[in-house]
Amino acid sequence: MHLLLYVLRRIIQLIPTLLFIALVVFLLVHLLPGDPASAMLGDRALTADVNRINHDLGLDRPLPVQFLLFLRNLAHGDLGRSIQLHESVLSLIAQRLPVTMLLTAMSALIAVALALPLAFLAALRRDREADILIRGTFQVGLSMPVFYIGLLLLTFFGAYLRWFPVGGYGDTFAGHLYHLFLPALTLALSLSAVLMRNLRQAILQVIGAEYVDFARAKGLPARLVLFRHVLRNALISTVTLFGLQIGTLLGGAVVTETVFAIPGAGRLMIESIYGRDYPVVQGTTLCLAVVVSLTFLLTDLAQVALDPRLSR
Amino acid sequence: MKMTFTGAFAAALMLSAAQPSLAVERGGTLVYGRYADSLFLDPVLNDANVDIWVLSNLYDTLLLPTDDGQGVQPGLATKWAVSADGKTVTLQLRPGAKFSNGRAITPDDVVWSLERAANPKEGIWNFLISSIDKVVADGADGVKIMLKHPDPAILQALTVFNTAVMPKAEFEAEPGTTDEAKAREFAKAPIGSGPFVLKDWVHGQSMTLVRNPYYWAEGSDGKPLPYLDSVVFKVVPDDATRILQLQSGGLDGAEFIPYARVQELKKMSGINMELYPSTRVEFVTLNVRDEVNGKPNPLANPEVRQALNYATNKQAIIQIVTHGVGSPMSSFMSSATPLHAGKGELFPYDLAKAKALMAKAGYAKGFSVPLLVLAGNQDELSIGTLLQQMWGQVGVKLELQQVDNATRTDAYRKGAFSMRLSAWTDDIADPSEITSYFAYSPTIQALHSGWKNDTVDKLFVESQSQTDAAKRKEEYAKIQEIFNATGPTVPLYQTPYPVALRKDVHGFVQIPLGNNIFRAAWVSKKASN
Repeated sequence: MHLLLYVLRRIIQLIPTLLFIALVVFLLVHLLPGDPASAMLGDRALTADVNRINHDLGLDRPLPVQFLLFLRNLAHGDLGRSIQLHESVLSLIAQRLPVTMLLTAMSALIAVALALPLAFLAALRRDREADILIRGTFQVGLSMPVFYIGLLLLTFFGAYLRWFPVGGYGDTFAGHLYHLFLPALTLALSLSAVLMRNLRQAILQVIGAEYVDFARAKGLPARLVLFRHVLRNALISTVTLFGLQIGTLLGGAVVTETVFAIPGAGRLMIESIYGRDYPVVQGTTLCLAVVVSLTFLLTDLAQVALDPRLSR
Repeated sequence: MKMTFTGAFAAALMLSAAQPSLAVERGGTLVYGRYADSLFLDPVLNDANVDIWVLSNLYDTLLLPTDDGQGVQPGLATKWAVSADGKTVTLQLRPGAKFSNGRAITPDDVVWSLERAANPKEGIWNFLISSIDKVVADGADGVKIMLKHPDPAILQALTVFNTAVMPKAEFEAEPGTTDEAKAREFAKAPIGSGPFVLKDWVHGQSMTLVRNPYYWAEGSDGKPLPYLDSVVFKVVPDDATRILQLQSGGLDGAEFIPYARVQELKKMSGINMELYPSTRVEFVTLNVRDEVNGKPNPLANPEVRQALNYATNKQAIIQIVTHGVGSPMSSFMSSATPLHAGKGELFPYDLAKAKALMAKAGYAKGFSVPLLVLAGNQDELSIGTLLQQMWGQVGVKLELQQVDNATRTDAYRKGAFSMRLSAWTDDIADPSEITSYFAYSPTIQALHSGWKNDTVDKLFVESQSQTDAAKRKEEYAKIQEIFNATGPTVPLYQTPYPVALRKDVHGFVQIPLGNNIFRAAWVSKKASN
């Protein structure tokens, strides 16, 4: 019951946050130089055509009126129509957001799968060859730009070894997983480096704590000490970091989706910003904000699960 | 009547001339990698090259551009004639021509399509056929186009995408109350009479076109075109990934190969690196108004503009930016544009002359000026950096301002820019379009530069209804001479379209106007990788 109230409170808190984000995004896109008609028609646009299109789109109305209309439609679950793609924003997001979510989820899974065991290994072999090798390798991964790692992986595993497709998304769910493996790995490499370093440090701190010594002295088996006492406590800060990094992961997806030719929400957003497609920029930003906020909520819940004192 | 008849025989001759000498193989799929997806497949309401360059595969026009982009050949019309006064065009429709749903194309469809395309309230391309006054059916198999004034470019205009023939009844049966709403629905599953039909479109990912069984043209084997069963467009925005997919067999062709990779792909076995002649020109646009953003503007002085032109080492830019793929310009319009006039490179590099001109103009010590460069565009950034160094020699301090396209277009349209990098590609096989934007001031104040030359304006107006071909050629020669000498640009280079195809792809062509023509493309099954 206590937990349920906590979740409810957090969800209610989300509403003003999202309204604020809606206002900021609305103002930002409308204050950018240029307008949809100019962006669409390009350099050859005649003023009469630009004015006609902007009038048809209702963009010649005062900004507050446009914002109120946007809010009214939002309250009815209507995010408007794409100016460039002539499709409803909701249906565009329904097509594109799951792609980005799947990519992000796969990256997160791969990152955790890489970071957890390697952080343990590095911590337990502190300053020995294994630790130096793991930290060194991840340092390289961390310092390389995402698009470059992506191209390296594509060239080697895609074009040279032909183990994976060179970009694209596939047609079936299995095909999606197969196509998304390399891009997910690309994104996961930098995230796992961050997680690994953080977790290794946390393990080293916890491992020297008195309660761990006590557990050992009590005669608990080493494995139990490690998982029940060391890992559980070391994970708290890493879970926070992980939650915060999901936003970064979504940001990285924008670049990765371009390099790997994946039709996701990140690419949709970038193309819409360039095209000043206001409804799509607003819609995707809002949806991504919801995703990030929900991730934060899940992160907090995970922390509560690890340390129940936090829910009080 | 001055008759210009072209019969089926000539059509067959042209088509067969365009074919490769190899025996064609039918069937199969060609997968083509594009840098961006299409947006709106309506011939009249579209506004971007990503649509324009593929529309001709779905919709047919009365006449077709020739592969060299200079002339016209039969399309849905087999014969045509322009009256002696130049004010009436009579066209005979191809007997038995059908839309992709099997319905016969009628003169009513043509009348409706052309009137929709010419409507000033519809889209942005109506200016290309603004001379059309009225279109009427001419018997059961012909149409008559009445013009407000003689239009020497009217036949070329009838090859342009916006004049595509669409099925009136099917379009009007679409849901929606406005033309745009109907067009939106219609464009989801367009019915045209081009060689292909849209079968499937996953936005941002791929588009599948399958052969139109009712397409009229015959291939070199005497059977109907197209040879291919289907064409798949895959959207691969990243240049390096597009090339990797081509190399690994995921694509049969890839457009917009970066110039830096052209030589490498030329040497690669299994790949044909094609450089199709194009009308694309790259140049710097200079604002020539006395004041820009409230400050005095040195570029208003023609001598300063000439000095910048002489101080620009175009050959060096061509080598560094286009890796030798480009060539110098001899006029503001490309050498592939009809009626291009000009010999030799414009303003060959001459630093001494440039310095002398700057001194003569009273700017011996130079000045500072900003140049708008497209953020993230490597070619533009390289050109900007090179110009910074080159113009630094005559004292001009160039400040590169990196902005996105919409920001730049905004400043451009408002005339609130000093300099910007620009590129242009023709949409019609006629010099009128480029000239109206570059030189004829009433259109967009000569590239929004504020440049105005009364002689050029007068010559352009005359040329627009000039029926004497020799006189029109002279008018264009004079316009180019004036603009090239005093105009508001620094011409940099012209470039072909770099397209890489696997060796087993044949018969594909990208014409100088940019259209990707797949109707005679075929893939040999015995791949020679």
